[in-house]
Amino acid sequence: MVRAFPLSAKAIAVVLILFIVVYMLLPLVVVVGASLSSSQFVAFPPDGLSLRWFQAAVTSDRYMTPALVSLIVAIIVTVLAVVVGTAAAIALTRFNFPGSDLISTFFISPLVLPTIILGIGLLLFTSNIGTGPNLAALVVGHLLIAVPYVIRTVSAVLAGSDRFAEEAARTMGARWYERYWFVVLPQCLPGIVAGAFFAFNISFDEAVIALFLRSPEMITLPIQIYSELEFSTSPTVAAVSSMMIFLTIILIIAIERFLGIKSVVG
Amino acid sequence: MLVAFVVPVGQVLWLSVVTEDGQFTLAHFARLFEDSYYLRLIGRTLRLSLLITLGCLLLGWPLAYITTRIHPRFRLWLLILIVLPLMTSVVIRTFGWVVILGRGGVMASVLQWLELAPRNFGLLFTESGLVISMVQVLLPFMTLPILGVLAKHDPSIEEAARTNGAGFFRSLWHVVIPLSLPGVISGSLLAFALSASSFITPNLIAGVRLPVLASSIYRQATSTLDWHFAAAQAVVLLIIVLAIVFPYLLIIRRQAGNQW
Repeated sequence: MVRAFPLSAKAIAVVLILFIVVYMLLPLVVVVGASLSSSQFVAFPPDGLSLRWFQAAVTSDRYMTPALVSLIVAIIVTVLAVVVGTAAAIALTRFNFPGSDLISTFFISPLVLPTIILGIGLLLFTSNIGTGPNLAALVVGHLLIAVPYVIRTVSAVLAGSDRFAEEAARTMGARWYERYWFVVLPQCLPGIVAGAFFAFNISFDEAVIALFLRSPEMITLPIQIYSELEFSTSPTVAAVSSMMIFLTIILIIAIERFLGIKSVVG
Repeated sequence: MLVAFVVPVGQVLWLSVVTEDGQFTLAHFARLFEDSYYLRLIGRTLRLSLLITLGCLLLGWPLAYITTRIHPRFRLWLLILIVLPLMTSVVIRTFGWVVILGRGGVMASVLQWLELAPRNFGLLFTESGLVISMVQVLLPFMTLPILGVLAKHDPSIEEAARTNGAGFFRSLWHVVIPLSLPGVISGSLLAFALSASSFITPNLIAGVRLPVLASSIYRQATSTLDWHFAAAQAVVLLIIVLAIVFPYLLIIRRQAGNQW
């Protein structure tokens, strides 16, 4: 009988996976660990346990103002990305119109085109029209990165959905808008929700475009963290970062609950 | 969306070929290619991106393969292991690496404990430190495309090879690896393109001592405000990335078919 996986392969796999687990998670563990430290310095393992840096972080305008900016931007981006992304996903999966190939390619290109080009482009553009960096430019930049993810999650649901439900609604006399509102959209819902979480996460964490477009009035949370890291590290920054990590974990659990990680990545 | 995308990119292209008063010129590019500093910068960017891509491939391929073959109970955890760092802000992951790689950091302590490193050892501001952290940042982008391709194939192809007498490693080499090539290619192109254009991690890990093309663009655009020159560098970066991404888009379109 053939053994599916020889022992040597299994041993290599176990060692490799352990290594990768440590390698992938260590940076996050170190940040969370450093935020729990009771000493003034960033140290891992922490010198003692305390939550005082978390308290320092949430009571400081230094972090709460950028957090508010990030939150506002992320909410606007999420709403817009869901609307645009869902419409695009329905159009791209339901109709095969001339140029739909080209459009789908266009929609995934922000995934691979360097965001630094987009960042510098938006900076140059807003300066040229005289407004300087503003919220609208930042939202547009984030939207371009987030929409492909919404398209992806909604398409994943639509691909497995029952098209005959739509036909049935039609034969029973539903008008086109009724069909979309009562049949297609509810079918898309898990994809829309998962896409919304993705869009929120992308916008909330994005640092490249936000860095180019930063102005004294518009500093997002990742940029505040970045600017402090340029000079030194502190346990308070680690506490803010830890809170962002927790938020990401919550979002991943939510995505897993609504759609399943597998259908997003697979 | 199209306008929002094309206008800023068009702006960069335009500024790179005009003078202050709008005359056509290639002087910005000439300046870039005449200065050995910038040539070294481009060379370093390409070399590091290649190393980082290789690192991602060496870890990402086995990770993808194991994820598809492991017991389903563990599969979700491995997927989360791949997705969690991907969804954490790059600033925060880099922060972790700054703490790990710095003097007196975790890495230095472990290596000193093993007596492999001298006192005062640190990998911050070194190319090795940059490669180590960038591979971690970009590993998901390599793993996911390979995972996608491997998951689509019927495991019975592998079984067929095995029952016909091929050993495990032989079937891996002659059957599984060739089948995974489309994923390997798109993952590699993605990792290369992303590492060539990233600057958050290089800025924080390597600092000004080891500038790469993208970090130089950022400095020119925001500190020295030499926008024409910054735009010219951005165009060079764009050309490098496009030369790599264009085949990627073709592959994706052929692979995905109607998926998008």
